[in-house]
Amino acid sequence: MKISGVYTLNVPQERAYALLQDPAILAKCMPGCEGLDRIAENQYAMRMKMVLASISGLFAGKVTIADPNPPTGYRLIVEGSGKIGFMKGDGVLMLSPAGSGATVHFEGDVQVGGTIASVGQRLLDTTSRMLIKRFFTRLAAESAQAGVERVAAD
Amino acid sequence: MIPQTFEYTAPQTLEEALGLIAGGDRKILAGGMSLIPLMKLRLATPGEVVDLGRVSGLNGISENGGVVSIGAMTTHHAIETSRVTRAHCPLLAETAGHIGDVQVRNVGTLGGAVAHADPAADYPAALLALEAQIKLISAQATRSVAASDFFLDAFTTALEPGEIVLEVEVPAEDQSEGYSYEKVPHPASGFAVVGIAARIKKDGNRIAMARIGVTGMGAHAFRALAAEKVLENGGSVADAAATVGDGETPNSDLYASADYRLHLARVHAARALATAISRAS
Repeated sequence: MKISGVYTLNVPQERAYALLQDPAILAKCMPGCEGLDRIAENQYAMRMKMVLASISGLFAGKVTIADPNPPTGYRLIVEGSGKIGFMKGDGVLMLSPAGSGATVHFEGDVQVGGTIASVGQRLLDTTSRMLIKRFFTRLAAESAQAGVERVAAD
Repeated sequence: MIPQTFEYTAPQTLEEALGLIAGGDRKILAGGMSLIPLMKLRLATPGEVVDLGRVSGLNGISENGGVVSIGAMTTHHAIETSRVTRAHCPLLAETAGHIGDVQVRNVGTLGGAVAHADPAADYPAALLALEAQIKLISAQATRSVAASDFFLDAFTTALEPGEIVLEVEVPAEDQSEGYSYEKVPHPASGFAVVGIAARIKKDGNRIAMARIGVTGMGAHAFRALAAEKVLENGGSVADAAATVGDGETPNSDLYASADYRLHLARVHAARALATAISRAS
């Protein structure tokens, strides 16, 4: 399944890039993420609890940041599996300045398998879009907060 | 196909049920036409299930002062066949008749369907077109939420933790109104690939009021406000139908791509409107 989208963050491009690479911020913003632990340079082990309607499941996986090219973008590879299924996502995030903020454009391919995919096929598109929206909504909130903290520190 | 072990409680009164629901992570069984299959597949593994099936006072349909009140545990079949809904909100009765199959309609409930908020559920389209109010209750308070403020995203509603749907209030349709629910059911699941609920009120040859609810298209059902405007301003059905889905990102799955879904929505919106107009007097 192809996914793509454009979101705008209210922080300069360099700052947006830093936020999108910060495991602490990512862990806070990814829906259901319960922890992101560094296992190697640009590689993190992920624990995730997906809760959606009545469906819930634990996923364990790996997040890899490849081809980092600050501050214009990087490639993100997410793999995870659990009792209810598995997923693998591979995509490119591209950042560009937009006024005083930054635009994040992403494009990628997600594969979902197992029970969740065979039963929930009709919902994969809707729910993946919803989860991505939640991620960027939280990231926007975090970036606003991080901005305030930085001003306070200055 | 055997669910994980869980604890089952079946409270008899609303107070008891609300007390149970207030205390922690419990799943509510309101018919179970979505929850039970998910549990059997172990996609849902709740530790505790509270069955509302025996709670008195949650089931029933009544009309009072131009408002039809439907209890949360009223089955789709009851809504489809009740004299009250057929006389006062026939759009909802017609919509209920399109849900799943007869077994599902005999067990599944309005409150359960509304709270589950499947993006392809049938009711939301009709409830939006009918401008229904959804009454919610918790151990502390009751409140009423307009259908347009209730469905927020896929499987996401305005329900807060500890709250359940108490009843749905539907303003009675005018006798002169025309209505129609047009659905393209998914051949395997019976869910709406798209579903269009339309209401039309005529004033002579002019359309005085148009209400169009669309389901299956996006993350949640929505009103086709632009299309309603076109009709109320004297535009044709074809022009109105051509605006349905404008600005939305249609869902896409193996059965129907986004483009095909948008096309289906427009074709069936035109059909629903034509039927509604022909039924209006």
